[in-house]
Amino acid sequence: MPALSDIANAVIRDEIEEFLERPDEIERNVALFAAMRPAMQDIAAALIEGDNHTVDALTARALEDGTEALEIMDDGLIAGMGIVGIKFRENFIFVPEVLACARAMKAGMAHIEPILSASGVEPAGTVIMGTVKGDLHDIGKNLCIMMLSGAGFEVIDLGVDTSEDEFIAALEEHEAPIMGMSALLTTTMPNMGKTIEALIDADLRDDVMVMVGGAPVTQEFADDMGADGYGKDALSCVALAKKLMEEHGQAGR
Amino acid sequence: MRQGSAVPSMTSRERVLASLKRAPVDRTPVCNPTSVATVELMDLVDANFPLANRDPELMARLAATSHTELGFDSIMPVFSIIQESSALGCKMQWEQKDNWPTVRMREPIWEDVDDIRIPNDFLLHPDMACVIEAIRLLRREFGDEVAIIGKTMGPWTLGYHCFGVEPFLLMSLDDPGKTKLALDRMKEATIIFGLAQIEAGADALTVPDHATGDLVSADYYRRFLKDLHIEFVERLPVPLILHICGRTVDRMGYIAETGIAAFHFDSKNAPAESMAVMDERVSLVGNINNPETLFAKGPEDVRREVYANLDAGVQAVGPECAIPLQTSVENLREIPLAVRDWHAEHGLAR
Repeated sequence: MPALSDIANAVIRDEIEEFLERPDEIERNVALFAAMRPAMQDIAAALIEGDNHTVDALTARALEDGTEALEIMDDGLIAGMGIVGIKFRENFIFVPEVLACARAMKAGMAHIEPILSASGVEPAGTVIMGTVKGDLHDIGKNLCIMMLSGAGFEVIDLGVDTSEDEFIAALEEHEAPIMGMSALLTTTMPNMGKTIEALIDADLRDDVMVMVGGAPVTQEFADDMGADGYGKDALSCVALAKKLMEEHGQAGR
Repeated sequence: MRQGSAVPSMTSRERVLASLKRAPVDRTPVCNPTSVATVELMDLVDANFPLANRDPELMARLAATSHTELGFDSIMPVFSIIQESSALGCKMQWEQKDNWPTVRMREPIWEDVDDIRIPNDFLLHPDMACVIEAIRLLRREFGDEVAIIGKTMGPWTLGYHCFGVEPFLLMSLDDPGKTKLALDRMKEATIIFGLAQIEAGADALTVPDHATGDLVSADYYRRFLKDLHIEFVERLPVPLILHICGRTVDRMGYIAETGIAAFHFDSKNAPAESMAVMDERVSLVGNINNPETLFAKGPEDVRREVYANLDAGVQAVGPECAIPLQTSVENLREIPLAVRDWHAEHGLAR
């Protein structure tokens, strides 16, 4: 079994030692990073530190050195964001720090995405995402989209203030198996339930799995309004999307 | 123990103001430091959104329903959090009757500290003048009977509106010094609007400043806002009610050090735990859950949460934040009913 000392990058070692508490997560991350090339660990470390300039430079260099785009994304960027997600979940860091890490991830993805798009990799699934009607907050939704994209999903972003009709039109156009709704305000949360009712009225409810999230949203609220799943944060959103795809026999890569 | 039959009968205004000072009260007041406007109440008095946010007579008429129809001890005419941002030049989405007006934060008006401008005629902007006039109308109508609470946005929330949430939060990380300077400049908007509402007759002011645990750390509150809130206490000579949504118990200790009169707290924070942290230094107002209880459940569930707050010793009871517009009047009326029943059951005891 790999040990912490098998990880070359000191930042990664320190992060795992200081911030990871669950044994399964420690074990998984030690194994993941220990098996990783040092150059990928360096990208992950820069991402965890929110250093977009270094991620930009290291990603470009790794591609020049012949590293596969998919390896950089999975090992350097996604693995780094995995640590960030755990730190956020456990309240070691907050949204400003996560935004800085997301900015760093975007700097890396700017190199990776064109290559992956051109390679024609089959997406893990399609997800329609939007913030509900009357709500203009999108940080959480955008973090989810970034993580979903990184996990191989094709994401259709409907933006903020999304009406029931806009959700329905997007579902009909893209025939997506999953739809995600976000709300930051307790005053707009009820619009999630209204949208689900509109899906029923449009005879689309059985065709799509609905996941919801946002700071004031809870599992209880999600259950009460008839959603198929609730994600507390961007990491949970990805896990939920994968689970929903598996449960419905539509798992992709 | 600060309440019960030993205290002579009070007016709603006296009750609210005493509770904000943690002084004896005849019973716990029911208070709405944010908003209890609903579609049902709009229909009742023919004062609809969005116009009730922009016309002083309609604003006052709709606001008054919290006392006349619901039996609350306070009246809050500022339903939303957008008046100042509109006056500062933010792009607005005034919405319809059944949705809240909101600021288009994806189209920020400022990028840098030097962009910050508070216009000389800030208070003359129609959306500012509307609030000031509505407070005058309410004071004239209700005299000393009911507490009129005004609302002036804190600089952190103005930062979200004017810089955009994401750019503002990234600036706080990339350049804390610049962020402090921006907050210092924006705070004048808070002071100017607050003083104008006091002059118009506001008994107390809610100061929403959304440094919530759902977005930033408790240390952020300490570093960026604590001193500014101390300054607000010094410069705004009425009781201030700080409002921050979401998880806040981790920063209540810092809030308690500001000298602020009261904190309007969210249902994500347990009443007893919050009371313990505040330790009689700040009054707590809240914290009936909005989306799951007031909006989606029935009066019995509302009553349970009212009792939980009273059992914990919370000084003023009310919804945790501005309520969903489709909330039933029946559930809102249950709050004062439950408060009275709790006192009837408990007498002097707490």
